[in-house]
Amino acid sequence: MVETADLVVVGGGIVGCSVVHQLARLLPNTTRIVLVDRGPIAGATSGSSMGHLMVTPDDAAAYALTIASVRLWRDLQQRRGGFHYQATGALYLADTDADVAMLPVLRDQFVARGDSAELLDARQLRDLEPGLAPDLQAATFYPGDAVVLPMLACGVMLREAQAACPGLVVRPDCAVLGFDRDGDRLAAVRTAQGTIATRTVVNATGVWAPDLAELLGQPRLPIFPRAGNLAITGHHGTPVRTQLLEVSYLRFAHGAAAVDPTRTDDRGGHAVNVQPQSNGSCLIGSTRQFRGMDRTLNRELLHRSLLRAQRYAPGLAAAPIVRTWVGLRPYAIDKQPLIGPWPPVPGLWIAAGHEGLGITLGPITGRLLAQQIAGVPCDVDPTPYLPARFCA
Amino acid sequence: MTDARVLDADVGVVGAGPAGMVASARLAAAGLSVVVLDEGQRAGGQIFRQLPGGAPHPARGAEPPSHARGDTLLAAFADRDVTLRRGATVWDARPGRLWFEQDGASWLLRCRRIVLAPGAYDRCVPFPGWTLPGVVTAGALQVMVRGFGVVPGQRALVAGSGPLLLPTVTALTGAGVEVVAALEASSRWRALRALGGVLGNGGRRREAAWYARRLLGAGVRLRWGWTVFACEGDGRVQRAVIGKVDRDGRPRRDTARTIEVDVVGAGFGLVPSIELGLRLGCAARFVAARGGHCLVVDGAQRTSVPEVLAAGEICGVGGAEVAMAEGDVVAGTILHELRGIAPPAAAGRRAAAERRAADRLLAAFAPLPGLHELATPATIVCRCEDVTLQQARDAAALHGTSARAIKLGCRAGMGPCQARICGPSLQALAAGRPDQPMDLPVVQLPVRPVTTATILAAPAG
Amino acid sequence: MTADARGAVTFRFGGREVRGREGDTIAMALWAAGEPVLRRSSSLGAPRGLFCNMGVCYECLVAVDGRTVRACTTVVREGMQVEPGGRP
Repeated sequence: MVETADLVVVGGGIVGCSVVHQLARLLPNTTRIVLVDRGPIAGATSGSSMGHLMVTPDDAAAYALTIASVRLWRDLQQRRGGFHYQATGALYLADTDADVAMLPVLRDQFVARGDSAELLDARQLRDLEPGLAPDLQAATFYPGDAVVLPMLACGVMLREAQAACPGLVVRPDCAVLGFDRDGDRLAAVRTAQGTIATRTVVNATGVWAPDLAELLGQPRLPIFPRAGNLAITGHHGTPVRTQLLEVSYLRFAHGAAAVDPTRTDDRGGHAVNVQPQSNGSCLIGSTRQFRGMDRTLNRELLHRSLLRAQRYAPGLAAAPIVRTWVGLRPYAIDKQPLIGPWPPVPGLWIAAGHEGLGITLGPITGRLLAQQIAGVPCDVDPTPYLPARFCA
Repeated sequence: MTDARVLDADVGVVGAGPAGMVASARLAAAGLSVVVLDEGQRAGGQIFRQLPGGAPHPARGAEPPSHARGDTLLAAFADRDVTLRRGATVWDARPGRLWFEQDGASWLLRCRRIVLAPGAYDRCVPFPGWTLPGVVTAGALQVMVRGFGVVPGQRALVAGSGPLLLPTVTALTGAGVEVVAALEASSRWRALRALGGVLGNGGRRREAAWYARRLLGAGVRLRWGWTVFACEGDGRVQRAVIGKVDRDGRPRRDTARTIEVDVVGAGFGLVPSIELGLRLGCAARFVAARGGHCLVVDGAQRTSVPEVLAAGEICGVGGAEVAMAEGDVVAGTILHELRGIAPPAAAGRRAAAERRAADRLLAAFAPLPGLHELATPATIVCRCEDVTLQQARDAAALHGTSARAIKLGCRAGMGPCQARICGPSLQALAAGRPDQPMDLPVVQLPVRPVTTATILAAPAG
Repeated sequence: MTADARGAVTFRFGGREVRGREGDTIAMALWAAGEPVLRRSSSLGAPRGLFCNMGVCYECLVAVDGRTVRACTTVVREGMQVEPGGRP
């Protein structure tokens, strides 16, 4: 007997889990949803990421999307918890004249959005974080950012979804091998654990989303893996309590990439992001480099980012590093996530391509996609994120 | 901190235990330059522990006869021109290169051959109360008495499985500790099968007789088919619940009784320390009776990676006799490769014979799957991250049953021990598959935690 | 047992003065002084102490002059300031 499902979500990262989480709350509790992932739940990009919930003020649409998602995260924390949510805020630092000049600009951007941020002088900075390098003269503090453990958050979302929708099946270690079509429409998903008859499929496979599109006979989606090297200290390795970011992070991470993502000779770059965790560990990032699916550590980039982190938080020099690793961010060519239907294949939906904002935007992505699937009004205008912009 | 600290040697040896000492003494005797890296403060490894100078020594005869070999070996090792780097933590390697941290400084050892002889560590089985201060591994008690001359307590419980329980008990009684109970989880029936491995070997026969006399003299009876069910106390261990287990190690709760103790040593065999080998890319295989994943070596103790050799527990737990014989083979292989000296065939035969004898003995103490029923849902399984068995089970049920999936789902194994303590039992406990081999651990940089400064100051190699 | 011929080493643990012997590790000196609790655990804050005594388990992490070290592999020095490891 062939298994049937109303909906199959492919990809058990934060986006796939959030899609399921939101669908389970919007659709009738009799809906049969199957979530499949070829590896563990949260085993790829989500399990390798920093878990920064980041509100970006520099662009009105981006602000609206990130603030909406961060509010959903706060709701989940208040309702369930269990994913080490920490309201660390973000302390934006700078050490060049040009970047120091950006600090008040950043504060003004938050204020212009009706939000609040504070410009700190040297004394206020020292009071907030005595462990910072003594030469730092100013910083911008934004209280709205937070930190979560994404892999635990995936579990929290799925468990809440299972409670709301008993027909939800979560199937790790179950790779998608192909699809059956009925004319244009989807008819079934063939997986390593059997065929699932369904007319609705969500592609939430991040850096593998182009591969899944290809399996469906579609052109490859313009999403490219962008590698990041990370290190984490042992439990007594955090010299700061606030999350640190270089102010240059915003243009480094979210501005236009200086290189062509299809090339593999990108030498890469970095901007400091130091993140204290609730157990006393400290995550140190972040680097960015296009080099295909290669997940081997780039020692040189890692060293450069550790040096820079140490420049702001000198206490990190004595902190023991427990582990280093590489994660792959799904970089969409126009730097906007893909959230919505894929018109050439009726029944196929896409939620992918969030680069370094996948954890921040996970909840709102799941919500916007679920609202589109359920045919109800969206919280935020989804037009800029519709994948149809990439249809020939 | 930034000046380059680079050493050059013909051979770099990791571990100054029996295997590493035999190999390095022979290589140095033949004129090769040898640098030995060890985390301890003195040579000898875990088995031939040396006390700090001037520390109280136990009376003559307090050590088993086999340890006399340690004295000979330590003397030979000290005579040779071997450079021993004490307190050295090796955190990265590739063929011909070993990076280590010593006294806060970052070093690189460049060498033509690497010998991996890092030994093994205690296999832990979680039980309620095993995180209480005063509850330690069996190995920890031996280190305390034989490595530092410290008296562990007044009333001790020793529980676990395997040949290392006996030296733990005799170390304690030799230090004047009352051993309230000595519990071997394996059944006497299984032990009988091991007698072939003991009685067929003259050295092991004398050793067994020595332990029997010592236990009798101290009035300690080793109880077969018993183990520790739980430890209790206010801020430190004060009581232990002990009882019988069935042949598979399942606790028989109706036999439980409480004893008053102030120190507990628990050790359920050993786990080979293979992480550095995995970092080097060496092939490994799972052999339950040898402690789990072991490096694969050929008859000349060569690993699957050129110029990397291995000896002793890293190739599978076997004890000091095996380690010394394999260390000898390693020396022969390297002298052959670098000096063209034909290796003596007898060395290989002796090592193989010691392995066979050890395998027969250890077969009696293969891990018992039922011991995983000692833990309750509230028992901590990952000590570093405070993860309970229930959390690990929930993770396995949702995220997947691979070791990595369980880790992702509850953070077990993500702390500073890098899953060395919880790893060997995590999958069995969380995924309910006690009879299947655990996944091969994934080794990431650094192989041991070292400071940011050490990583940044690492000489390029 | 023969008598202990080693010199004394005095250090501080959590503000308290502890006398150890030359060649002792921090963990051994504290154990001999009757102090088995070395830190509080990372999430629950439960008391933890020495466990493997051979540098593997990292249960005995303490802070020495602001650096995190394993008490079982670090030898005591005269005047050393040792603080229990634990939640920051």
